Amino acid sequence: MRILRFVLRRLLQLVPVLLGVVVLTFLLVRVLPGDPIRTILGPNATEADAAAARARFGLDRPLWQQFLDYVGGLFTGDFGTSIQSGAPVGSEMALRIGPTMELVVIALAVALVLAVVLGIWSARHAGRFGDHTVRVAALIGNSVPEFWLGLVLVLVGYSVLGWFPAPSGRVDPDTELSLITGADLLDAALTANGPAFVSALEHLALPVATLVIVIVAPLLRSVRASALEVLASEAYTAAAAHGLKDRLLLRGYLVRATLVRLPALAALVFGFSIGSTVLVEYVFSWQGFGQWALRGLLYRDYPVVQASVLVIALFYVVVFLIADVVHAILDPRVRI
Amino acid sequence: MAEASGVREAGADRRFASSLITVGSVILAVVAVAVLFAPLLSSWGPEEIDPLASLAPPGGAHLLGTDLNGMDVWSRVLHAARLDVGIAVAAVALAVVAGSLVGLVAGYRGGWADDVLMRVLDVFQAFPTFILALAVAALLGGGTANLIAVIALVNAPAYARLVRAEVRSIRELPFVEASRTSGSSFWGVLWRHVLPNSLTPVRVIAPLNCGWAMLTLAGLSFLGLGVPLPTAEWGAMISLGSGDVVAGRWWTSVPPGLFLLICVLGFSLLGEGLQERADSTRR
Amino acid sequence: MTLLSIEDLSVVIQRPGRRVAALSGVNLSVEPGEVVGLVGESGGGKSMVARSIVGLLPGGSRTSGRVMFDGADVLTMGAAELEAFRGHGAAICFQNPRGALSPTRTVGRQLVDRLVTHRSLAPAPAREVAAELFESVGIRSPRRRLDAYPHELSGGMAQRVMISLATGCAPGLLIADEPTTGLDVTLTREILNRFRLAANAERRGVLLISHDLASIAEVCDRVVVLYAGTVVESGPGPQVLHEPAHPYTRALLRSVPDIDGRPVTATPGAMPLLTEAPSSCPFAPRCAHATQLCTADLPVAGPLAMDWSVACFHPRSGPLDDPAEPPVPAETPPAGTVPSAGTATSPDAKGSVLRIEDAHVVYRGRFGGGGHHALRGVSLSVAAGERLGVVGESGCGKSTLARLMLGLVQPSRGRVEVAGHALAELRGRRLRRLRTRAQLVFQDPIGSLSPRRTVQDAIGEPLRAAGVPAAERAARVARALERMELDPSILGRRPHELSGGQAQRVGIARALVGEPDLIVFDEPTSALDVTVQAQILKVIAEVSGDSSRGSVFISHDLATVRGFCDRVVVLYLGRIVEEGPVEEVFGNPGHPYTRALLSSAPSLGSGYGGPQVELTKDLEEADAAGGCALAPRCPFATDECGEQEQELRPYHASLVACRRAAEIPALIER
Repeated sequence: MRILRFVLRRLLQLVPVLLGVVVLTFLLVRVLPGDPIRTILGPNATEADAAAARARFGLDRPLWQQFLDYVGGLFTGDFGTSIQSGAPVGSEMALRIGPTMELVVIALAVALVLAVVLGIWSARHAGRFGDHTVRVAALIGNSVPEFWLGLVLVLVGYSVLGWFPAPSGRVDPDTELSLITGADLLDAALTANGPAFVSALEHLALPVATLVIVIVAPLLRSVRASALEVLASEAYTAAAAHGLKDRLLLRGYLVRATLVRLPALAALVFGFSIGSTVLVEYVFSWQGFGQWALRGLLYRDYPVVQASVLVIALFYVVVFLIADVVHAILDPRVRI
Repeated sequence: MAEASGVREAGADRRFASSLITVGSVILAVVAVAVLFAPLLSSWGPEEIDPLASLAPPGGAHLLGTDLNGMDVWSRVLHAARLDVGIAVAAVALAVVAGSLVGLVAGYRGGWADDVLMRVLDVFQAFPTFILALAVAALLGGGTANLIAVIALVNAPAYARLVRAEVRSIRELPFVEASRTSGSSFWGVLWRHVLPNSLTPVRVIAPLNCGWAMLTLAGLSFLGLGVPLPTAEWGAMISLGSGDVVAGRWWTSVPPGLFLLICVLGFSLLGEGLQERADSTRR
Repeated sequence: MTLLSIEDLSVVIQRPGRRVAALSGVNLSVEPGEVVGLVGESGGGKSMVARSIVGLLPGGSRTSGRVMFDGADVLTMGAAELEAFRGHGAAICFQNPRGALSPTRTVGRQLVDRLVTHRSLAPAPAREVAAELFESVGIRSPRRRLDAYPHELSGGMAQRVMISLATGCAPGLLIADEPTTGLDVTLTREILNRFRLAANAERRGVLLISHDLASIAEVCDRVVVLYAGTVVESGPGPQVLHEPAHPYTRALLRSVPDIDGRPVTATPGAMPLLTEAPSSCPFAPRCAHATQLCTADLPVAGPLAMDWSVACFHPRSGPLDDPAEPPVPAETPPAGTVPSAGTATSPDAKGSVLRIEDAHVVYRGRFGGGGHHALRGVSLSVAAGERLGVVGESGCGKSTLARLMLGLVQPSRGRVEVAGHALAELRGRRLRRLRTRAQLVFQDPIGSLSPRRTVQDAIGEPLRAAGVPAAERAARVARALERMELDPSILGRRPHELSGGQAQRVGIARALVGEPDLIVFDEPTSALDVTVQAQILKVIAEVSGDSSRGSVFISHDLATVRGFCDRVVVLYLGRIVEEGPVEEVFGNPGHPYTRALLSSAPSLGSGYGGPQVELTKDLEEADAAGGCALAPRCPFATDECGEQEQELRPYHASLVACRRAAEIPALIER
């Protein structure tokens, strides 16, 4: 019950941020230089054509009226119509979220586990060779361009070794996977489609590996730093000086105290991984949300741009909210 | 016995920090040489087309082969360093100056200006930085100046936040109060006492951030939103070579990425080393 | 059989570019049922002794000698043996109990962890034992407290939990590292008595580490004094306390102000940081009795009497305040030598440099809600040449009062006048100029200096702000420096290159250089070592003697204030409860709170002569409702006290905010 009140209070605090996000996405496509209509119609269009197109998308109306329409649409779940495809943006987007979520969630989960295990191990062996190796590896992970890493993995895993499928799509079309959520692994499991499940897993391997390598690095660094701080803290020294066994020290006095600060960082890294996902999807032709949003950007399909940026921001804000709640549960010092 | 490690590692940590700084500096020095002497180190121009060779493998006339357009990969990789490092450093410098200034004044003065700034930063923080960079770059269009502006824009809020937090803790410290009771003016206290002490974290973050800015720039170019071809730029080169990978032709995309990685690593090592050194002196 | 016996222990810490001889040839023993006090200033090696007993020495340490515990040498123990020994054999109570408790685990579980590990109990019965232990250390409703997290505990409660953790391992030896830091006088006594109890009732050995000999002397059987990593004196508590034989022990004790008002003697110099084990007496450079022998050879500890040994070629004898022994360097002038108003009634407004009328300070919560009422209607004034002392426990509003005097906080009600001008009525340059008329000397000497600025910059800042030209500035800085007895070579240094004492002298020089009308000293010595404290007190006494200037001396320590103030104000929870001439307040206190403070103050001399008064509850436990703020803790409180606010009214030569002040002497008699 107290948690619920805490969540509600946080949600209320988010209202101004969300409002700001809506305003910013609205202004983004209208205030920046460059005329989307001109870009879409091409150099040969006449002024009359442009005016007609503007009228069709409501761009000829005053800014405040456009804004009201936009906000009104958001409340009814109407994100407008794609200029490129003419289809409703909302339903196009719904198809694309599943595959991307699948990618991000799996990668983030793997990265979190890796980061916690390696980070704490590294801190407990601080200053020794193993620790230095882990840290240098993390630094390299921090420095590697994810799109290039994806290409290198394709080069090795597909072109040279042939262990993994070509970077085109998420599942072998021959498996006739029926679409439910868009997350292929989940769909295959739900429909008990064995071959599709295996195929989806094979397709996931390289993009997930790429994402894990680039997002584990910042998490690992922070877990290590946090664990080091706990190890140097008086509280831990006291527990050790009172002769508690190593296992109890690790479980009771190190792990939880270390993890307290992880949620906020994990949320930050989630945002970072969304950026990386756009690039990774592009490399692996994932046909997910990132690629869809990117195409919208390249063609200046402004309803798509608006909707995708808005949805990413909303997701991000919600993830921060979840992180806050997890933090409150982990850390008794947070008053809820 | 892990319990003594916090103390035990102090000496080893400083040595490790020094070696990180050394390796990072050496990498950056080599990059600087490449930037300065790129024309001398390659026999082909970065945009010079060899009509006899398209996708020629490494060796022979072309050290690292040629790309689809018959341009020399080695020469392009070297010349790209100029553009990538230049844009990244300029963007981070701009972000540091703008962000720190805003954070400094808002943090020290407090009040409504600070409140407004924090709300604006909250909104900015709701967008993942790369996504924001992507959107702004796409709508603003490519080109060097625009890219510097975009990358500076998405990074500046972090500096504002960082400096503000630092200033807010510093302004409560006794030496700032001592300066105020000495009769120093608002700007005098800010300039002589708050500013020099609040930039410590910025000094550490900025090198790391340079590396990240290069990755962002290359990522934008990779997606076709950065520097247009035929200008030599690592991200754009990787993009052009990405089609060759499936066919097993590695030389058009692996070298530019590797150079990018090494260059970013140089900044990361330097930043990490500085951070480690700052931490170990604090302990 | 001896429980702990440290024999010829030496510890050298080797770090890159730095080598410290932390301990050199230390001998020390603790018997079961005995409380041994380990005393010395920081850098003396106290904590190093504690750490070597439980095998927690820092990295890069090399040891020689033996630490025998129950017949086994701790220094040669393997990892498994050490694990069993720690906690089970000897357990440490840490200095900062709230920091030494894991923040993410309930205190009950932390205690159960120890019980399960060392007493081989199952978790369920361990919880029962834990509740009993909590009760035995004086924690009320122990079962409920088991589920509390450390941040939910007050400082005193956390220290009790810490003691229960240490005793819960059933160790033969309890090591308490500065266990009463940050606790008020009432709690300090209670916590120290817990240790005495552990020795008496449970036959444990206790090693009590403290920088403050006076406060722990009462509960100790024996006292060991450390100086620069060597034991200089060890012997029975009362002897060492009253007739110390080693010149350092004497200097240490003479440096401590006492509430009986005896003069403080400052010893020049500071403790050396040795890189090698000393080959001559480490105290010789500071010692007034040193001869050639002392600087040539190292004195070994020799027995003086039963159980009493001293490492000195020329041990002293006789009581500490023996007039036959001339005090070595200059002394503080006795209180009251400077002409001053010296009366309880406010001096006339003309000569007053500071005037505060009915000031309230409220720190608001972020959204205006709640808020903390730090000062409630404080009025006082300071005349030129007058020295006002402000005393009170932590949280009473002392520091807020200091900040108020300097205009660093604004009163939410009331008026503050410095040098005849109200701070609130001025803006911009004129406000800044007025601010320079009052100067503050801070509690944290190094933190009050800007880390990136030199000493020259720091001292010259008030002049620079006032637009004094550079040449004159340099001359005046040099003069201030000279007055502080600092060498001009210090001018180019930065704060981290200064010792605490030097930094505080720089702080005083900065306050002094602009010739202000008022200097406020906010606990200027509480962060310093004892012998350095005495040096700084001497400097402050000298500075505050200027007749053109008023001084305010703020402290939690009654004895320090008594040393050189003309008038004293006692603060309790943001209110003035008593105000009067110093001799009157200390000799004939009126308010029950003042009486209780004086009763519980530690003393090496005759102490407080009046009848003892003890408050009934800790500050943390008492929630003040309306009326007199002290009522919930006051042994003399009646129902009426809880109903009406108390105003200051005359009592002898003082002003006292207690309606029953006149009746209390009779009440105590009964």
